[in-house]
Amino acid sequence: MAQLDHAPHPGLIGAQPAPPPEVVEQTKIYRREGGFPISWLVAPATLWLFLFLVVPLLSIVVFSFWKSTGYGMEPGFTLDAYQNYFEVEGFFDASHRKFLTPSVFVSTLFSTFKFTVVVMFFCLLLGYPIAYFLAMQVKAFKWQLSLFLVCMVPFWTSYLIRAVAWIPMLGRRGLLNTFLLYMDIVDKPVTFLLYSEFGYVMALVQIYVVLIVGPIFFSLAKIDDDILEAARDMGATSFQIFREIIGPLSLPGVAIGLIFIFVMLMGEFATAVVVYGGKTSTTGTVILNFYGVANYPASAVNALMLMLAMMIGVIVILRVVNIRKEL
Amino acid sequence: MAKWTPERRKKLWIKSGYSVYFLVFVLFIYGPMFAMFVLSFQGRRGGTSFPMRGTSLYWWGKLIEPSTVGDMQGALLRSLILALIVMVITAVFSTMLAMAFRKKFYGAGFLFYTVMAGLMVPGVLLSLGMATLMQFLGISPHWWSSALAVHVVWTLPFGFLVMMAVFNRFDERLEEAARDMGASEWTVFKEVTFPLILPGVVAAGLFGFTLSYDEFARTTLLAGEFNTLPLDINASMTQRIRPTLFALGTASTIFSLGMIGVFLGIYSILYRRAR
Amino acid sequence: MTKRKIDTATSAKKVISRRKFLGTAAATTAAAGAITGFPAIVRAADPVRTIGLGVSIINEIQSQAGKDLGFPVRGQALGYGAMFGKMLNQNEQYEVAEGYYNDYDVMVPAKVWQPIDTKRIKRWDQVTNLSKTGKLTADSNPGQGDAPFRHLWIDANGNRVDGPSRYITSVPSWHNADSLGYNPDETGRKIESWAELFSPDFKGRVALLNTPQIGVMDAAMGIEALGLKKFGDKGDMTKPEIDFMVDFLIKKKKEGHFRAFWETFGQSVNLMVSGEVALESMWSPAVTAIKAEGVSCIYAALKEGYRGWHGGLSISAKTSGKALDQAYEYINWWLDGWAGAFVARQGYYMSVTDTVKTSLEPAEWDYWYEGKPAAKELSDPFGTPIVPKGEVRDGGSYWDRFGNIAVWNSLMKENDYLVKRWTEFLQA
Repeated sequence: MAQLDHAPHPGLIGAQPAPPPEVVEQTKIYRREGGFPISWLVAPATLWLFLFLVVPLLSIVVFSFWKSTGYGMEPGFTLDAYQNYFEVEGFFDASHRKFLTPSVFVSTLFSTFKFTVVVMFFCLLLGYPIAYFLAMQVKAFKWQLSLFLVCMVPFWTSYLIRAVAWIPMLGRRGLLNTFLLYMDIVDKPVTFLLYSEFGYVMALVQIYVVLIVGPIFFSLAKIDDDILEAARDMGATSFQIFREIIGPLSLPGVAIGLIFIFVMLMGEFATAVVVYGGKTSTTGTVILNFYGVANYPASAVNALMLMLAMMIGVIVILRVVNIRKEL
Repeated sequence: MAKWTPERRKKLWIKSGYSVYFLVFVLFIYGPMFAMFVLSFQGRRGGTSFPMRGTSLYWWGKLIEPSTVGDMQGALLRSLILALIVMVITAVFSTMLAMAFRKKFYGAGFLFYTVMAGLMVPGVLLSLGMATLMQFLGISPHWWSSALAVHVVWTLPFGFLVMMAVFNRFDERLEEAARDMGASEWTVFKEVTFPLILPGVVAAGLFGFTLSYDEFARTTLLAGEFNTLPLDINASMTQRIRPTLFALGTASTIFSLGMIGVFLGIYSILYRRAR
Repeated sequence: MTKRKIDTATSAKKVISRRKFLGTAAATTAAAGAITGFPAIVRAADPVRTIGLGVSIINEIQSQAGKDLGFPVRGQALGYGAMFGKMLNQNEQYEVAEGYYNDYDVMVPAKVWQPIDTKRIKRWDQVTNLSKTGKLTADSNPGQGDAPFRHLWIDANGNRVDGPSRYITSVPSWHNADSLGYNPDETGRKIESWAELFSPDFKGRVALLNTPQIGVMDAAMGIEALGLKKFGDKGDMTKPEIDFMVDFLIKKKKEGHFRAFWETFGQSVNLMVSGEVALESMWSPAVTAIKAEGVSCIYAALKEGYRGWHGGLSISAKTSGKALDQAYEYINWWLDGWAGAFVARQGYYMSVTDTVKTSLEPAEWDYWYEGKPAAKELSDPFGTPIVPKGEVRDGGSYWDRFGNIAVWNSLMKENDYLVKRWTEFLQA
C-alpha cells in the first residue's frame, strides 16, 4: 500500500494532489504483466540461428549465382544455373516433343510434391485415430505416454537400417511372402510390394505417420473433459461433439503435424532409393546428384526451389489453421 | 446401479475397436523390424536376406568387437552424446522462444519464419554452406561443434512448435497469482510455469534427441574426422550390408522398450508414494 | 573400448594444434623423435589420416599398416557422396585419399591433391603397364574413357602434361574389370553378351547401377551390343548419343524391365541373394559375397569387353613435413604386397603384381590372378571360405580380362546434360 504514503491526507474535503506518475503506472493493470524480458529469452536462439542458419543459407543463395566450373564453383554472377533449371529445349515449339512440358527439375519437384501430398493424406487418416485413442480412450497419463513412446521407438533405430530391413520383409523371399505362400493365400510371391509406387508410399507412411500422431495427441490431451461432458449433457451426438469441439480444438495439432511431415517428405531422398529401387527421383536426390559431381550452383538452385515450395506449403497450412492467432 | 448398461457396453466396444486398431497400427509401424529381429540371428554364413542359413549369435557378437569398416562403438557413443546435448539445447531454446512468443514483440513474425526455415533448408546444402564458410574462416568441423550447431538448427523448429502448442493452452492466471503473491520472476517460472509445461519440454527434448541421433544429411561435411553413427553405418554399407546392423537395430529397440518399461515402473512407484 | 574414441574438445583453430591433440599420447613424445629399433611400439606420433570407401578403408588394413610402419594410420570410411565432398572441400582433414580415376576431371583442376614424385615411390618401376600406358600386354585394347594413363601425368605444379612425366596425380593401386553378374539358376543360360542386359527374357529381373557416370556405361555397352548404335567414344558421349541412349532406357523402364537400381555395393548383393533380380551390373567383390551366402552367381565373361575402373592413392595438397613423409611411407606400404593380397582375396587386382604374388599362397595366386582352378578351398580376407576346390575364376586370368577393356568409368564433358537426362530417366 505504498500509494497511501505518497498522497498527503489533509482530509476528505479539498483538492488532493495528483498521484505521482510512478504510482499511476503501478496501479495500471496489464493483462500479461511480468515474465522475463523478451530480449533475454530470444537472444541465445536468435544468435544461434543467425550464425548457423541464416549465414549458411545466404551463402547457398550466393552459390546459386556462381559459375560452375568442372570441379566446384567460381565466384561471379551468372544466371546459368537458373537457366539450366528452367530451360526446356523446344518449350515454345509446337512441333517439338517437349512442347509446353516443364523441365525435368520442375517436374521432379512436382512429383516430389505429389508423393508428399498423398503420403500426408494417409498419415492423417491413419494417425488421427491413434492420437484420438491415446488422448481420449487411454485414461492414465503414464499409459498414454508409454504407448506413445512405443510408437516412437522405431525412430531410434537408424533410418538406414530400417530402410534396408524392408527388403527381407517384402521381397520375393521375404517374411511376408513366406507367410502368404505358407497360408496358401497366393501361389507365387507377390512382387508389387517392393520397388513399386505402392511400396514406396506405404514405406513413407510407415516411417512418418508417428510424427503426426504426436502433435495431435498433445492438442487432444489438453481438451478439458468437462467441456465434453457438458456437451453430452446438452444432448450432442458424438459426431456433433467431434465436429464442433474436438475437431477444431485439435486443429493446431493437426497443422503442426502436417507441417512436420510435409517438410520431411519434401526433403526425402533415401527411401526412394532403398524401397523404390531408385526408380523415381525426388528433388532431394537431384540435389545430391549435383553435389556428387561438384556442381554446387545447380545443387543450390534446386535446393532454393525446394525451399520455396516448402515455404509456400507451410504458409498455406498456416493460413488454413492460424496457430499464431490461437495464442 | 447396473454394471453393464448399454452405454457402458457401447463404450467398451469402441474402446476395444480402437485398441485393436492401435495394435494393428503398431504392427504396421514396426513392420520391417520383425524381419530385422529375425535376421539378427542369422547364421554365420548368411546375409541380410532370407533364407536363414542356420541361427547364431555371431552377428550379435560383432557388436562388441571392433568393426571391419569404421568404428561402430565409437560412432554410437558420439551419436548418443551429441543427441543428448542437442536434446538439452533444443528443450531450453524451444521453451525460451515459446515463452517470448506469448507476447507480441518487434520482429516476431520474422523470427518465427526464420525458425521455420531451419526445417526447410535441405540438409546437404546447409552442410555445404556451413562447411565452405568454415573453410573460408579456417575453422575445422567437429561433431561436437559444427555438427551440433546444425543439428540444433534442425531440431529447434520441432521443439518450438511443440512448446507453442503447450503455451497455447496455458493458463497464465496461475502465474499472475504467483506474481501477485510477491514471487520473483524466476520463482514464478520454477514453481508454477515449469511443472506445468514439463510434458511439453520433455517432448521437445525427445524430438531433439531422436532427430539428432538419426541425422545424416546435415552431418556429412560437418562431422569432422570422426563419424557419427548414421555416417558410420552409411560408410559400412559401402563394403557390405551385414546382419550386424540388424543386431544393432534390434538391440536399440529392445533397449528403448526396456527404458519405457523402466519409466513406467518408476512413475508408478512415485505416483503411488505421492498419494 | 579402444583408444579411438570421443575426442574431447579444445578450440580447433590452426592445423598444428588440432593435429596435436588428435595424436594418441602427448605431443612431447612425438618430439622425442624416432624410437628406432622398436617397430612394434606404436609411437605417439600424429596418425596418417586416410579417407575413402570401404574398399581401402578396412580396419584390418590400417591396423596392419600401423604395425608395420610404426606410426598409427587412421582411416575414415565414408559413403560416396560424403567422400567426394570431403576430398574436394576438406583436404586439410586428411593426408591420403582413395580416389578413382573417373573423378580426376574434377579433382585435378581443383588442385586439392599435391603432385606425387615418382622418385619417392619405391616400386614405381614395378607398377604394371596397364596403369601407365593402358596396355597390359602389347596387344591389349586400352579401352575408351577415363583410363588411368589418361589422368596420370602432371608437372610439378599439378597441370596436365602429355606422356610419362616425373610427377603423377596419384599412385595407381587397386582396380578391376566389371561386367554383369547373374544367377545361372534364375537366368537358365549362360550370359555372354552385354545385349542380354536388355533381353526381354529377363524383364523385371534386371538391376542397374544408380550413378549416371557408371550406369550409363553398362547401358551403352548393352545398346552397342544389340547393334542399335555405335558410339564414337563411350567415355565422352555427344548430346545426340546421350539422347538416344536415355530415350531407349526410358522406353525400357516404362515396360517394367528394371526391377531396381542400386546405389551401394551391399544393395547389389542383397538384390541377388534375395532373389529379386536375375541379372545386374555388379562389382566383383559382390560376386564373392553372394557366393559366400550360398547363392549361385557367375561374373559373366562378355565378348564385347569389360568396363574397367581404377583406384589410386593420392596425397592432400595441404600435407607437408613429417606428415608428408609418413604419407609416402603408407602409400609405399600399399604396394609392398600385404594390402594387395588382402584385396586380392576380394577379387580386386593390384598395380604391382610381383609383391602380391609373394604375399599370396600359391593356390591363391593361381586362382585369383592366373585364372587356374582352385587347388584347395580358399577364403576371403576375413576367413570365410568362398571358393570351393576346383572352381575357376570367371573371366580367366588377369591378363585375359584386362586385355579386353572396352570402356572405363568416365566423367564426360556433357556430364551436366547427362545428369539432367538421367534424372528424366529415373522419373519416367
